[in-house]
Amino acid sequence: MRIHVDAARWSALPDLHELFAHRDLFLTLAIRDLKVRYAQTVLGLAWAVVQPLATLVILSLIFGRAVNVSTGDVPYPLFAIAGISVWSYFAFVLKESGGSVIGAQEIVRKIWFPRLIIPLSKAAVGIVDLLVALLMVVVLLAWYGVVPGPQALYAPLYLLAIILIALGLGIWISALTIRFRDLQHVVPFIIQFGLFATPVAYPCSIITESLPKWVQVLYFLNPMAGAVEGWRWSLLGVGDPGGLCWLSLGSGLVIFITSLLGFRSVERVVADLV
Amino acid sequence: MAEPMIKVEGLGKRYKLGAPTAFDPRAGLMENIRRLTGGKRPDFWAVRDVSFEVEQGEALGVIGRNGAGKSTLLKMLSRITVPTAGRFTINGRVSSLLEVGTGFHPELSGRENVFLNGTILGMRRAEVRRKFDEIVEFSGVERFIDTAVKHYSNGQKVRLAFAVAAHLEPEVLIIDEVLAVGDVEFQRKCLGKMKDVTTHGRTILFVSHNMSAINSLCGRCLLLDEGRIEAIGDPGSITTRYLSHNSSGLVGEKDLSSSPVSPDGAGRFLHLRWTNTSGKVIDHVQLTQAFNLEVDFEIVERGYKPQPVALVYNSSGEIAFMTFPGEGDHPTQPGRYRATLHFPANLFNEDTYYVSFWFCTWLPHKVHFVLENAISIQVLDDLESPTRAPSHATVMGIVRPKLPWDIHPL
Repeated sequence: MRIHVDAARWSALPDLHELFAHRDLFLTLAIRDLKVRYAQTVLGLAWAVVQPLATLVILSLIFGRAVNVSTGDVPYPLFAIAGISVWSYFAFVLKESGGSVIGAQEIVRKIWFPRLIIPLSKAAVGIVDLLVALLMVVVLLAWYGVVPGPQALYAPLYLLAIILIALGLGIWISALTIRFRDLQHVVPFIIQFGLFATPVAYPCSIITESLPKWVQVLYFLNPMAGAVEGWRWSLLGVGDPGGLCWLSLGSGLVIFITSLLGFRSVERVVADLV
Repeated sequence: MAEPMIKVEGLGKRYKLGAPTAFDPRAGLMENIRRLTGGKRPDFWAVRDVSFEVEQGEALGVIGRNGAGKSTLLKMLSRITVPTAGRFTINGRVSSLLEVGTGFHPELSGRENVFLNGTILGMRRAEVRRKFDEIVEFSGVERFIDTAVKHYSNGQKVRLAFAVAAHLEPEVLIIDEVLAVGDVEFQRKCLGKMKDVTTHGRTILFVSHNMSAINSLCGRCLLLDEGRIEAIGDPGSITTRYLSHNSSGLVGEKDLSSSPVSPDGAGRFLHLRWTNTSGKVIDHVQLTQAFNLEVDFEIVERGYKPQPVALVYNSSGEIAFMTFPGEGDHPTQPGRYRATLHFPANLFNEDTYYVSFWFCTWLPHKVHFVLENAISIQVLDDLESPTRAPSHATVMGIVRPKLPWDIHPL
């Protein structure tokens, strides 16, 4: 191994080789967070079930019963859990990754490793909750006797897209929070706002049928809008994953790639700032 | 000749004095106005134009006053912070120990923390697993290994943390003053382990204020002053130079009454002086005379119970002893106090002694600040000393106490 540092040269790209070399640290940090998260809680891992379940109940009551949103042939709870499962993960990553580098400042000041490990390990912890939520999707599919069609083959791709979008935003926020601490207070707002601006509780058709084109474009600039619509289409065959949904996926890709570059530029000064 | 293990060329780190650290829009705006009007923030080079090489298997000590740039240099070499100028190359796996127990999590068990700390320091999980039993045995906390670390005593935490660090197998080891923690016996164990490391062909970069540790561990020594290399070479001569240069002759008295209160607000020292038994300020004393050290200090913050701790070093930097007021002897109320430390006659050897001070609360343990080589005194042998060797041979030892010998015919 050879380490060369030159003040005049700083690569704008993250060193993926180095990142891979620190995979054990990534794993250990993720295990640590998982253990700490449920240490000394009574319900432990059951919390991963309680949270999406509570959301499911409230959405089913309000949007399913009271507002009576049209979801085609699909029972509303099944429709909602599909969206909730991935949205909870997205919200988790934003919350946890966002302040993660600031939260790890004690380590950051004392030891070097690729800083990207920090938000990545936080995002990995959420995978456990995501799996539990996906299990709930499967249970509800079985309960309502719904068998996904051949489009289900796209489901893993949409899931991957959602994970990358969550990572992209999480990494961006963690990088920006180092300079702009205010952002920590903005994240809960983004999550709350995003839940309304994303087709979790309702189908996209509500937007595309009633709002002018320019609002639709704005709506689908939200990367989660198209990703969630597509994900639900792949599972349940409802909605339209084409058209403006591609705009969402494109915007998600841009966010993910620029987040890596943005993070890299902050990585240079992080130990001097935190 | 083989390539050096560490090669540093023209390394420098500049900080902008008073520059906003976290983003503050108002400060940023002021910064722009300042720039427009031509005013420049003063730069501060914490390290400047530092170049040196370290061969494989060599141990290089780094010494210098506080603020001389030692930590910044180490932080750059361990890649925590990026240099502003220059470059360096290290040909091997590096572990840096700027603190023991980095990343320790109080909620997790000792076992889990060994894995956590080990991987943070750059070990693979499999490597930690392989060395786990050895690490735990070295630490001596076997019985508590599955207890959450928050229930450990400070000493136990340090032992476990150092045990992990001692089992790193890097080709290059970068160590900051981490040996200052832990009890003496454990420190000795760690120094021994570090010596093992150098004899196994590993390269060490070692920052310390402990001159005897530098002398016994390092083959070469680098003296930093105001960010630049002041001298590099044989540790014996460099440490002597540092101590004599640093104290610039003898300091019999030091007025600190305009010094700021410690950052945590606990208090400060006001005045330090050596006095003879008639109260006159002195900077040298005969072996056969008793003398005093007067320490004026101020407790500012209610709640802390700070007291002065004196660490007495001989001229080669070995610590002779550490002394502090006994339990119950020290005040707890804010105010100004004078502590007088009485040294008996016939205690020291013929040498120059330097005293560093800690301003320290014992429970909960906290060192508020450290005052290094604050004051010094020369102890002279007046030829009538009862501890003098009859043949005028050197009497060895850091101290030379007069002890009673009883000799009777059997």
